[in-house]
Amino acid sequence: MSASQNNIGKCYVLVSTYLSIAIVAIIFVVLFLSSYDAFANIGWDLFSLEWNPSKDKFGILSMIYGTVSVTFIALGISVPLGILTAIFISEIIPEKYRLYIKSAIELLAGIPSIIYGLIGIAFFSAWVSSFFELPTGRTILTAGILLSIMILPTIVTLIEDALHNIPKKYREASKGLGLYQFETITKTLLPIAKKDIAGAVLLALGRALGETMAVMLLIGSIDRIPEPFYNVLNPGQTMTSKLGREIGESAFGSLHFSTLNAIGFLLFLIVITVTIITQLYFKKERRL
Amino acid sequence: MKKFLLALSIPLIFSACSKNNKQVINASGSTTVLPVISTAAEQFMKTHSDVKIIVNAGGSGVGINQVGAQQIEIGMISRNITEKETSQYPKTKFTITPIGRDAVVPVVSSEIYDAGIRSLSINQLAKIYRGEISNWKELNGPDKEILVIDKEAARGTRHVFMEIVLGDKEAQAAGADLVLGANNEEQTAIVQSDAALGILSNAWMNKDVKGLAIIMENGEVIEPTLENIVNGKFPIIRDLDLVTNGEPTGITKEFIDYILSDEGQKIVIKNEYVSIAK
Repeated sequence: MSASQNNIGKCYVLVSTYLSIAIVAIIFVVLFLSSYDAFANIGWDLFSLEWNPSKDKFGILSMIYGTVSVTFIALGISVPLGILTAIFISEIIPEKYRLYIKSAIELLAGIPSIIYGLIGIAFFSAWVSSFFELPTGRTILTAGILLSIMILPTIVTLIEDALHNIPKKYREASKGLGLYQFETITKTLLPIAKKDIAGAVLLALGRALGETMAVMLLIGSIDRIPEPFYNVLNPGQTMTSKLGREIGESAFGSLHFSTLNAIGFLLFLIVITVTIITQLYFKKERRL
Repeated sequence: MKKFLLALSIPLIFSACSKNNKQVINASGSTTVLPVISTAAEQFMKTHSDVKIIVNAGGSGVGINQVGAQQIEIGMISRNITEKETSQYPKTKFTITPIGRDAVVPVVSSEIYDAGIRSLSINQLAKIYRGEISNWKELNGPDKEILVIDKEAARGTRHVFMEIVLGDKEAQAAGADLVLGANNEEQTAIVQSDAALGILSNAWMNKDVKGLAIIMENGEVIEPTLENIVNGKFPIIRDLDLVTNGEPTGITKEFIDYILSDEGQKIVIKNEYVSIAK
């Protein structure tokens, strides 16, 4: 390869990288600029309960509550399930089946979220409502459970990779010390993979925060914090579902539009924070 | 060489798809008006092969916003445009063409209908939506909590209903349990529940989603029949409109004229709305 070709290649790679960074920066700036009106005019009242655009009341507390609780439920279900599944795939079944089972779980990640939403509406919400004898199956819990299935592949794949990458010598050493397999897993492998597990959970958290379609269809879309607040068998609203439902209805340039942008901006900040924490976490880690 | 040919063929495929310079009409908005317009568009495109009409849903609010921002040619709306909306878009001259009439009907799950609830008064409806009545028992129905279904704030059906029931088209409904969007989304929720009350356009009722009659102040019970909509007896009625920026021109005008013609009005009637032609 000639030197000039090499330079062209370098240039191309450089431009691509800067372009990607520029896109993130532009989104950040545009979101901030278009939500500036909301921050300037509403200020701290943004964190109140009442949402009524016709009266210029823009309180997004119930949406923040919805996002937090849905994410919490989703992680609460999928983290233990994901860790156990990963242990099973990596440590217990014979190596030759590993890839089959793993790809089957990874297929879950390829299903478009609207399909999860449709299945959720058609069957899942009906089951939830008859199981808990609720007037409606469109609840925070339903959305949380569905979301847990959606983020499961992320968790399983990453943790399984982490476990699988632990060199054989650790397992052999444990065995040599006379530990049972159960002890090997809990005392040796899991502590070694601790940071990877945390990384996997943070990545899944990012996905759970941003998921829109399936949650929007299932959560009931009412701007209210249930009473008592831990009663997740009530409908609610997340930040993303609010955006999905109302962004088309709000006039461009209005305070309503600006507030919806502010919700997006806050969500963006949260996701960026989570990502940065994840990155720093992985940076410090020393590989085995 | 093969790869080269393949690369060459890609732009060809794209240009083949876009080569015909068809005139495009974009329409979007109310899911109440949508069935009429999409059927009309199909028929219209059969006779006008050089025209492409793209019809999208989203609700009256979306229709008004997109016409306001001049992104589409035709907005479908099932309520009046609010002053706030008009003032948001000073550059757009909203022009309304009514194409049919419709009633907004309180609807219940078939279980509630079969249990004997066939009619409610405006006052009772208002109490339910304000959260003052929360069990069907209080209305001589079964002992079940009412699943009160509200609609997204900018939806036409909601504006028309709330204007008459709560006296303000943008009133908050404290008694609501769910907030849904399109007519079909709400229809699904009502079918799935056995104790739901919702608000739907007259054309969206079926054997699982039953419309209620309205008890008037003088005790008269008005059924949501086409006849009562035509003669204006049913209290919650509205026009179905198309909105354009200024008087429609060119191919958009032709399409709207088609909907207003006898043939177009037949589509309105077929969708169980009332024709504006007398």
